[in-house]
Amino acid sequence: MIFKLNHQKILDYKSRNIILWIILILLLVLLFIADIFTGSVNIPVDEVWRIITGQSTEHPEFLTIIYRFRFPKALTALFAGFALSVSGLQMQTVFKNPLAGPYVLGISAGASLGVAIVIMGISSFTVVSQLGVIGNWVIVIAAWMGSGLILLLILMVSVRVKDIMTILILGIMFGSATTAIVNILQYFSNESMLKAFVVWTMGSLGGVSISQLKVLIPGIFLGLIISFLSVKILNAMLVGENYAKSMGLNVGLSRFLIFFSTSLLAGSITAFCGPIGFIGIAVPHIARMIFKTANHQILLPGTLILGGIILLFSDIISQIPGKENTVPINSITALIGIPIVIWIIIRNKKLSNLG
Amino acid sequence: MVKDNSILTLHKVAIGYPKTKNENHILFDNINLSGRKGELIALIGKNGIGKSTLLRNIAGLQNVLAGDILFLDKKIQSYKRNEFARLVSFVSTEIVNVSNLKVFDLVSLGRFPHTNWFGKLKEKDIRQSLNALEMVGMKSFIHKNVNEISDGERQRVMIARTLAQDTKIIVLDEPTAFLDLPNKYEIVHLLNQLSKNENKTILFSTHDLNIAIQEADKIWLMLDDEIIQGAPEDLILSDTLNRIFKESNLNFDKLKGDFRIKRKHSKKIGLIGDGLPYNWTRKALERLNYAVDKGNAAIEHIEVKQVKNELNWNFKSEKGTFVFKSIDELLSK
Repeated sequence: MIFKLNHQKILDYKSRNIILWIILILLLVLLFIADIFTGSVNIPVDEVWRIITGQSTEHPEFLTIIYRFRFPKALTALFAGFALSVSGLQMQTVFKNPLAGPYVLGISAGASLGVAIVIMGISSFTVVSQLGVIGNWVIVIAAWMGSGLILLLILMVSVRVKDIMTILILGIMFGSATTAIVNILQYFSNESMLKAFVVWTMGSLGGVSISQLKVLIPGIFLGLIISFLSVKILNAMLVGENYAKSMGLNVGLSRFLIFFSTSLLAGSITAFCGPIGFIGIAVPHIARMIFKTANHQILLPGTLILGGIILLFSDIISQIPGKENTVPINSITALIGIPIVIWIIIRNKKLSNLG
Repeated sequence: MVKDNSILTLHKVAIGYPKTKNENHILFDNINLSGRKGELIALIGKNGIGKSTLLRNIAGLQNVLAGDILFLDKKIQSYKRNEFARLVSFVSTEIVNVSNLKVFDLVSLGRFPHTNWFGKLKEKDIRQSLNALEMVGMKSFIHKNVNEISDGERQRVMIARTLAQDTKIIVLDEPTAFLDLPNKYEIVHLLNQLSKNENKTILFSTHDLNIAIQEADKIWLMLDDEIIQGAPEDLILSDTLNRIFKESNLNFDKLKGDFRIKRKHSKKIGLIGDGLPYNWTRKALERLNYAVDKGNAAIEHIEVKQVKNELNWNFKSEKGTFVFKSIDELLSK
């Protein structure tokens, strides 16, 4: 009888969140639509609405803009938000470090090395921008190869090294080493190449075409599926690998799954959009604050939705200057993310010992 | 039939760490020990002698360098990961201090080897977890965060997690290390109760010898060159306990069942009196390095007397007689 009562209490505590979930999902849908409404070309609201709802329009150019540019961009923002925040959460849990993010393993550094080699090395012979669509793919593939290389190194190390903190330090070292090589390349490149590279490092959600989305979205889906399959593993890792192992966790397999999905998520987004900072670090903290739990059964979907919401919001903000200019997405995510993290740190001084 | 009760056997085990590929750093060699069902075993030894390493080996977190660890007559290596996690659970010295982690969520993590791939808690898992919290007296804490409870409460929660894991054997590495005195006694007593009521074999390391002697059924005593096992009373009677602190000034008082420091007494003093006041005055004088001579009025001496409802200490020496109202006054003369 007593058990029944308490069981009910536990269920109540979980169902209280249902309203919260509905609000968040509605917010996500609203922001997704709002993101389609905003852009450098001024399209009347009713025209956008007609196009979204599939009615005919007298302005074929608006149709093109929305289908070729705004819709892919909103989708990219949505999936980039999902991918970066979820991979950030995984890294914070595995390394038991509140400042870990999707890039601690050196993934973005690896990607930027690939891109730097393409932009500043190969393009000494041809200019990538002249290659058009092919050039875009070349950059994506180079970034992917760069982050994949780092992933392979990390996986090789993670099988041999027992202590998880050693892996964290090695990840940072790999990252620093690749950054050093990138710096050398930058030093020897000319102005226009340098600018092309710097623009890439600022991140952009707008450069992903429909055909690229057909590659990006399945990749993100696969990464997210692995993440959701790892919920039990992540919960166990919260109390440290020793305890997890004593409860029957296969540490090697678990590390492989989590590092693989993190690299797939963060690596793909970095390849197509450049390194987008702070979403991966800030969003998991916001999710913890809102849901007040460390249980990944709740935290993982919560982080996912909040990641989508915040990156869509950042994208809308980045277009506010209006006309042709948009602010680099990286600056917006930093300006939104940093105050949130500072606020959380000051509000609950226990950030340092979160899992 | 005696053998039926045995659950854990260590046979010629060597523990330590691999130094290079072909060379090992051996901490302790030739360990032969055993544990029975429902037994509370205290592992005792100096810092750095290898207590934690031994426990980590038994909990399956580290491999032995030589010899065999047998659970229910089966070698530890022959257990599957999940099977072993249902047999042995572990509490390390690591403090789990994750913010936003609910007590219930931490305890139900113990159901890890019993739940499916997604870790979905069934009715039975929730019941077991609540039951575990009930057993350690922490049921009212289910919605609290683990980083907002005291060290003693957290240790109880960690024990509840092992109970939720539902294993025959529980291994704990210094469960009383961070606790205050009442909590130390209570936690070890709780372990004693669990070993008896739930018929679990509980193995824990500790530096609190007094508590271990009172509560444990068996002591594994790690000395410099050998490990001795036996009931605490046997170890006291055979003078084995004194061997732990060979080099130090500590001495085990067999009558009082307590440790005390060996003192060098310089001055002699007589003490007259009886009962509790006599005993405590004697302790105070010994603290000041006096050799107390009971009933000797021929030298400088103190007489403890009951005057009406008050105690008086009369100090008599060549200079005369002084009267004090408390031991503090007496000592400050």
